[in-house]
Amino acid sequence: MGDSQYSFSLTTFSPSGKLVQIEHALTAVGSGQTSLGIKASNGVVIATEKKLPSILVDEASVQKIQSLTPNIGVVYSGMGPDFRVLVRKSRKQAEQYHMLYKEQIPVTQLVRETAAVMQEFTQSGGVRPFGVSLLVAGYDDKGPQLYQVDPSGSYFSWKASAMGKNVSNAKTFLEKRYTDDVELEDAIHTAILTLKEGFEGQISGKNIEIATIGPKRIFKVLTPAEIDDYLAEVE
Amino acid sequence: MSRGSGGGYDRHITIFSPEGRLFQVGNVSIHTSPRSFVSRENFPCFVVEYAFKAVKAAAVTSIGVRGKDSVCVVTQKKVPDKLLDQTSVTHLFPITKYLGLLATGMTADARTLVQQARNEAAEFRFRYGYEMPVDVLSKWIADKSQVYTQHAYMRPLGVVAMVLGIDDEKGAQLYKCDPAGHFYGHKATSAGLKEQEAINFLEKKMKNDPALSYDETVQTAISALQSVLQEDFKATEIEVGVVRAENPVFRVLSTEEIDEHLTAISERD
Repeated sequence: MGDSQYSFSLTTFSPSGKLVQIEHALTAVGSGQTSLGIKASNGVVIATEKKLPSILVDEASVQKIQSLTPNIGVVYSGMGPDFRVLVRKSRKQAEQYHMLYKEQIPVTQLVRETAAVMQEFTQSGGVRPFGVSLLVAGYDDKGPQLYQVDPSGSYFSWKASAMGKNVSNAKTFLEKRYTDDVELEDAIHTAILTLKEGFEGQISGKNIEIATIGPKRIFKVLTPAEIDDYLAEVE
Repeated sequence: MSRGSGGGYDRHITIFSPEGRLFQVGNVSIHTSPRSFVSRENFPCFVVEYAFKAVKAAAVTSIGVRGKDSVCVVTQKKVPDKLLDQTSVTHLFPITKYLGLLATGMTADARTLVQQARNEAAEFRFRYGYEMPVDVLSKWIADKSQVYTQHAYMRPLGVVAMVLGIDDEKGAQLYKCDPAGHFYGHKATSAGLKEQEAINFLEKKMKNDPALSYDETVQTAISALQSVLQEDFKATEIEVGVVRAENPVFRVLSTEEIDEHLTAISERD
């Protein structure tokens, strides 16, 4: 990738030992719309704000949460176009694994390969890092899992995490409410309450997105109607 | 060094600056409106921002409106020189028989984009056996734009593309793709110099999700342009493109048809 004229990396070390471009990429993530994920005992839920530039935008044409395989899904905070690239690459990697091993790719492996792509773009010539952090939710033989991947390519497994504009409040809120044996339905309610905390305006099924994966291991994005039902329960 | 010049970060065209901004593609136009700060990633790129400026520098405004079963796009037709052949000045391009593209911004970049889009749509039809849908083409255009924002060796195109067509399943569709790589489906939208004013006007008109008929769609689009630019047009000063569910072919309206709509608008007022 990159033209021969740009055979040098644009991401280089500063005298203090930091990779400044990655810091800036994280700033980009931090100004993105809030998203979060919660791992329950029997599944994972991920959610995000879906604020659109204008009421003229057809919200049905926008889907921020995407599935990578039937049992793995992902949400982001940061730059949408960069996210689409990563989704495409990850889907391909998952499919290649499946073609070779005739098995669904384990969550950890897909996360690792996606993270490797993100790292590549911090070191290769003529490219910039991705301006997104990802929350990958999946359910495989190891059970429900939630991973966060940063623009640097580093990833960690989380019980619950948040990213974007409202990250500190959201994380504090999640820390208070999280219990190790929380069930998926409760986790969905907690996710909604966390989003509500920092939400500007009236929350509804049209300006947030929620997706879950349960013991049946099917990743499912909730419809606006289903979200509205959950919102009513939370009231 | 003045802040506007990018502070030394705009040489490497696609890297992040301290504020988390990428130089050269950019959400400048989005940030200026009070309503839209919550919009997309609040996170403009300068490489991208300059491309948006280039779109505005073309000094043309375009508008697209989606009705119940039709889509209409309209743009100013500025012919800078009387000696120019007016028929060769156009921003409205058929991509396939069924898909149209209105390019606002740098005309040379527009032609490249159109050429590549035509190729891609034709290959799609060949490869998969059915016509490329509007959203798939828009995504393809947007994904290409994203590459230019991430790879230093290519600059973003200074073009905002509005793609229109009738989808087999979803009906009338209008998508807008910008140099940052964003694309959304729209009920109505605008691009170019008076983009924000036009969007404000359209938001008021489309607030209650009206199901516009074909004539209403075309007249909303044209009257929005007239209102925002505060001038009444002659039929030769604008270009209008439409698709209708009853005849899903992309069509550029003739001067006579445009005149009919202009007359209807002035009689209505």
